[in-house]
Amino acid sequence: MLFSLRAAQVDPRRLLEGDALGNVAKFVRGMFPPRLDGEFLGLMARPAIETVQISVMGTAIAVALGVPLGLLATSSLTWRGVLHERTSRTGRWLLGFAPYAAARAVLSVFRAIPEYVWAFMFVRAVGLGPFAGVLAIGVAYGGMLGKVYSEILENVSPRPLETLRAAGASRLGVALYGLVPQALPNVIAYTLYRWECAIRASAILGFVGAGGLGQQIELSMRMFQFDEVLTLLAILFVLVASVDVLSGRIRGWVA
Amino acid sequence: MYELAGIRKVFADGSVALEDLSLRVGPGEHVAFIGPSGAGKTTLFRILNLTLRPTAGTLIFEGQDVAGLSDAGLRRVRTRIGTIYQQQNLVGRLRVVHNVLAGHLGRWSTATALASLVRPRDVAGAGRALEQVGMPEKLWARTDELSGGQQQRVAIARVLVQDPDVILADEPVSAVDPSLAVSIVTLLRDLSHESRKTLLMNLHSVDLALGYFPRIVGVRDGRVRFDLSPDRVGPELLAELYAGHRDEERQLERLRDGQNPLGAACRPLPGFRK
Repeated sequence: MLFSLRAAQVDPRRLLEGDALGNVAKFVRGMFPPRLDGEFLGLMARPAIETVQISVMGTAIAVALGVPLGLLATSSLTWRGVLHERTSRTGRWLLGFAPYAAARAVLSVFRAIPEYVWAFMFVRAVGLGPFAGVLAIGVAYGGMLGKVYSEILENVSPRPLETLRAAGASRLGVALYGLVPQALPNVIAYTLYRWECAIRASAILGFVGAGGLGQQIELSMRMFQFDEVLTLLAILFVLVASVDVLSGRIRGWVA
Repeated sequence: MYELAGIRKVFADGSVALEDLSLRVGPGEHVAFIGPSGAGKTTLFRILNLTLRPTAGTLIFEGQDVAGLSDAGLRRVRTRIGTIYQQQNLVGRLRVVHNVLAGHLGRWSTATALASLVRPRDVAGAGRALEQVGMPEKLWARTDELSGGQQQRVAIARVLVQDPDVILADEPVSAVDPSLAVSIVTLLRDLSHESRKTLLMNLHSVDLALGYFPRIVGVRDGRVRFDLSPDRVGPELLAELYAGHRDEERQLERLRDGQNPLGAACRPLPGFRK
């Protein structure tokens, strides 16, 4: 704690020194009154929708990456066995363990690199615009979703699985009637939570040119149009809050 | 039905659960297994339903040595063995109908199994099974809304849908209250009697075992201690079986004092009358 305090250069006095407060005040004063004329709001409708679209597509790609990688990264499915029976034959054990380890490694890389850095790389690859943001969210969140999916799957109660296995069900049968129904509500809840985060993230990604509201915020800040910044932040707030309400509804429905 | 010879089970941590256990069970027989907790009864049942492989010894099921079976072969044999566990072996979030129809999984293809989750296949069969366990009205209820005793009936209905040759019940009533325990044990006994199924049951309560089963197997320290008809299982034998296990010894004292917790539902136990 103390070590972190020093290293992070935490020093409240700097907030009060010289121009610091003055600059903050200028920033805040510039925000009022927020720019609310019809022309500006009309112009901002597109970036706002774009932000939602980036987050939806990004989350969709994240799910598409996270589901297969998450399944491979689930020890109970690949090498440990749903009932921890662990197959005795070394060959078969390796056959399950190798993809497991590979999937874990890939997922770690995906989520260790911040979405901001991914966006930077994808902007270089596919050019400025929303697609870079979609890819960045897809990859970074795919890493997080895959990790969490595998943990949810590993932590389901093994008892129903054992019962199904004992009744002669195949592996897929056990998954369909035991694993999936137990895991699904958590999987959906966590995916929706990540979608909420993706809205926020897509705003930040705009700063490196990945489209959406973020890009507009960055532009307005660079032009010292703080009244526009406040409006944009308010729009972002409304978006996040509505997604929050919506995902809460869906969660209540699947629980 | 079953022929076990020299079965031994050692777990990965080195603990020995079963030691040189031999047993023969004929088709249609009803057998109760009793013994202190940790005696290896549950391990024995997991070996009997082929979810656990013994470390040594042979297990012959209907004339077939199961050690040499492939995964597919094991699955085929497992469909003929139905297991009922203590509790919590149903998926609470699924509707009762799906939990009951899961008894078909050994026969259904993956496509059929998936389709049935969307639009249940053998609804009539599931309904009949639930009728046999006395709660046909719960077909579409969510499983986690049922009481412990009702869930145990759903588990029995699933085994009925599976329609195996043997029913293994591993402590099926230790999580439900005594009056329900009697009804569930009688239900299992009557159902397997009607359809001529073999019934093997692990029981915590000695009075249920002695009152409802014609053959009692006492297990202790992973070995069969006795294998007798209930009228020959006397207090001395039981005291020896449970020696050193406090809770169970207390249960025996109650039996001796005539405070049968199951009340009049049970026949007077031989050897326990004052």
